[in-house]
Amino acid sequence: MTNPSHAEHQMQMKRQSSGRLMIFGFLSPSLVILLFMVLYPFLSLVYYSFYNFSALRQGAMKPVGLGNYRFLLSDHQLWERFIFTGKFVFICVALQMLIGIFVGYQLQKNFRGRDVVFTLLMMPMMLSPIVVGFLWRYMLNSEWGIVNFLLSSVGLPKIDWLGQANAALWAAAAADTWMWTPFIILLATAAFRGIPETIHEAAEVDGASPAYKFFRITLPISAPVLFIALILRLIDSFKQYDLFIALTGGGPGSSTETVSFAVAKTAFSYFYTGEASALAVILLVIIIGLSMILVRHLTHISQRF
Amino acid sequence: MAEIELRKLTIEFGAFKAVDDVSLTVKNGEFVVYLGPSGCGKTTTLRCIAGLTRATSGDVLFDGQRVNDLTASQRNIAMVFQFVSLYPHMTIRENIVFPLKARGVPSAEITRKLDWVTGIFKLGDELRRYPSALPPGARQKVALARALIRDPAVLLLDEPLSAIDEQFREEMRWELGHLQRQLGVTTIYVTHDQREAMSLADRIVLMNNGNIVQVSTPNDMFFEPVDIFAGQFIGSPSMNLIELAPVVGGLRLGTSNAVLTPQNHAVPEWAVASRRPLRLGIRPHNVHLVDSDIPGFDIPVDSVFGIGREKFFTFTIADTICQGVDQRSRPDGTSGKVRFDPAGLLFFDAETGRRVTGETVL
Amino acid sequence: MNSSRTSAFDHAGRWLIFALLAIYTLYNIGPVFWLLLSSFKSRLDLFAMPPKLFFTPDLSGYESVFGVGAAANNASSVGVLDSLINSIIVSVSGTSLAVIFGTLAGYVCSRFNFVGKSDFMFFVLSTRMLPPVAVLVFYHMMFARLGLADTRFGLILVSIFANVGLATWIMKGFFDGVPREVEQIALVNGYSRMYAFTRLVLPMVKGGIAATAGFCFIFAWNEFAFSSILTTTQAKTLPVKISAASGATGLEWTQICAAGVVLIIPVLVFFYLIRKHLLMGMTFGVLGRR
Repeated sequence: MTNPSHAEHQMQMKRQSSGRLMIFGFLSPSLVILLFMVLYPFLSLVYYSFYNFSALRQGAMKPVGLGNYRFLLSDHQLWERFIFTGKFVFICVALQMLIGIFVGYQLQKNFRGRDVVFTLLMMPMMLSPIVVGFLWRYMLNSEWGIVNFLLSSVGLPKIDWLGQANAALWAAAAADTWMWTPFIILLATAAFRGIPETIHEAAEVDGASPAYKFFRITLPISAPVLFIALILRLIDSFKQYDLFIALTGGGPGSSTETVSFAVAKTAFSYFYTGEASALAVILLVIIIGLSMILVRHLTHISQRF
Repeated sequence: MAEIELRKLTIEFGAFKAVDDVSLTVKNGEFVVYLGPSGCGKTTTLRCIAGLTRATSGDVLFDGQRVNDLTASQRNIAMVFQFVSLYPHMTIRENIVFPLKARGVPSAEITRKLDWVTGIFKLGDELRRYPSALPPGARQKVALARALIRDPAVLLLDEPLSAIDEQFREEMRWELGHLQRQLGVTTIYVTHDQREAMSLADRIVLMNNGNIVQVSTPNDMFFEPVDIFAGQFIGSPSMNLIELAPVVGGLRLGTSNAVLTPQNHAVPEWAVASRRPLRLGIRPHNVHLVDSDIPGFDIPVDSVFGIGREKFFTFTIADTICQGVDQRSRPDGTSGKVRFDPAGLLFFDAETGRRVTGETVL
Repeated sequence: MNSSRTSAFDHAGRWLIFALLAIYTLYNIGPVFWLLLSSFKSRLDLFAMPPKLFFTPDLSGYESVFGVGAAANNASSVGVLDSLINSIIVSVSGTSLAVIFGTLAGYVCSRFNFVGKSDFMFFVLSTRMLPPVAVLVFYHMMFARLGLADTRFGLILVSIFANVGLATWIMKGFFDGVPREVEQIALVNGYSRMYAFTRLVLPMVKGGIAATAGFCFIFAWNEFAFSSILTTTQAKTLPVKISAASGATGLEWTQICAAGVVLIIPVLVFFYLIRKHLLMGMTFGVLGRR
């Protein structure tokens, strides 16, 4: 490049500083409000996890160092809860991604009334989680729930959805999947529609079968968006609490208590706020760890573009 | 290598007729260019041959076999699109071998073909890069390589050079023509740029409003246009069109004092005697501005301008602005005489626009 | 486009896909329909076996929700209108601001590379990771100290904080799909960055804004945990108000169903209004960055 003239140089400087101003200006609102809202609670969370603190009797608190953590990590029941949470998250995310991508793929082409169909499909997502929990509890009732009624009317045996630990896991998964698959559908459809038509045509001319096209072209190109959807769903699944409160109440017994549920119980039933904080920190560490791995992978696959 | 035949092909989108009853045969190994303004149906016809757009009626035949019901992937064609068509998530290498991989070609064969194609296009250094790192010209080269690696029977190109810089375009045009002759693959090329058509085609198919206007070699297109549209679409700068008024013994150019006669410009007798109003078509290169002392018409010259070594001039006859070539040895303002080359006179029916020769309308 | 297929295998495949789609649609819409139906059932009909498809409609659920008719004197059923207004104000403000902040941040993260960008993006994502149950207490303490307790403004802040992360990431995805040439051409022609952003780029991502707004509105509208802890009387939002009813006399199924229907209507309306924009494509930079 030839030496820029003075005027060009001026323009470049102006462009750079206007760019910097824009970066600063556009990021500040988000940064300020996030820091403001997050800093204190997060720091408190970590701080109090090292204390024998109870929100009820704020005066009588003693520092216990890693005591809370040691107690929690040696609790056999806690590990069961982690396993249960892990199973739940895995099943939910897997189902939602698979179904979401499938339906999103079918919906990418234009057809009459598509936007109305789409709006209807989004409805489960629009309901309040508590309502969803109660609704499924109502539907899955082993005596008068409609699900068992339909099962028995086609000759299948009735299932005690909410009374058996194993079935309860699937009941919760069914409810959560029902509620959140539309989220994936929306993002997947957006991702698939973002692929220019000419690329599809080029692939067809090149002799690719629809399956080949989907796995070698559509999916890889949509990967960044689908990945974001996956990360977001993963994070939200770990936090899931409203659904369990309404659907199972943690039961039968305490078999459907997720880690999040346990945090709530510890904090609001027993008021062991310090211990609850420690548990929450452990959960956070896991979520952050998983997210970091996934985000790094996301950055990696986005590099190609 | 295949012969393509279009039989009474009509393509409609709802009420809109994009292609209207088109029939054409493209011979084996021929380089045919579909030329025409935007919306004339050339791209739609191409896409129908490709299998991407369905014909409303009529047939498309490859080597005598009807292919209407075959999908694009079943037709053994290759296509280069106008805009982005390289797979952005794959390297250049993966892009190029994709058609072979998609059809399950064994890897030894793939490597062989890849080497062959890389050699032709000199892409060795680029193989590991991604499409986003390449300029548009190079990308189209890759698209072409990807198309040719399969040794297709038919090569279809949809305005492949329109998004490329002028300078690169000429180079690619030459390479493309050379390559096609070397490989002998039947090629159909769509463009709105008549210079491209003229330089590349064995035959040009000129289309307008869904109809074929003329099918000829570039030479014939240029010298024997079938109507005013064809005459004006081909050639740059475009052909001059001048009203002719019959006078005793000749034809007068509009309202000027220039009269063309069989004596001074070899005007054919039938043109002078014609009872139908005529218009004169004459290309700018056949209209000369000469020094004042050379015989010619005294037509007022509007302006003189030069592009490089070629100098042009403009003049007005019957409210039409015409162009010609300035051939004065002593260029001096706008003075000079205007001469018309008798060899370049083309006569058109003023009402139908069709070209008139002899007794019959062309 | 319109190429045809003739293989029988493909036909079978088509039917399978159609069947799967039909099953999913039933799974998706069935329960919603059942909810709607149930909301009009009397308590007796709700538990009737076999489940009734036809019955005499009973509005006791809705009456409880709105505090009219038979439930008029029920203490927990008054003030619904107030909480509705609260919900609307909080949700709309929270959503708008979250979308605005997220769009701005997403744009900058899409276009510029600056020190700490990936850290910023991860930080923004991480704000979503805090389980509400874990931090409710601390928010309560913080809000009490700042005088934000039981204020709509406080709830709005919560709404924004909960959704800005989502908004930023999704909007960045949409911005990545807009070619940089759009702004470059404007800059070269002497327009400012702001002009390029507001007049050229923003209209191109209307679909992304619609989708983001939809998601944020859902989260803000249905937000329950924070709203219940951080409000006492004045600023209660609708979900909280409705759930308060179910505590007193055990599970009031009719009220819950009716409440569910009432709560979903604004969201449904919102999505219906933006439906045309919802289906915009997102590419996350597929068409190449230069």
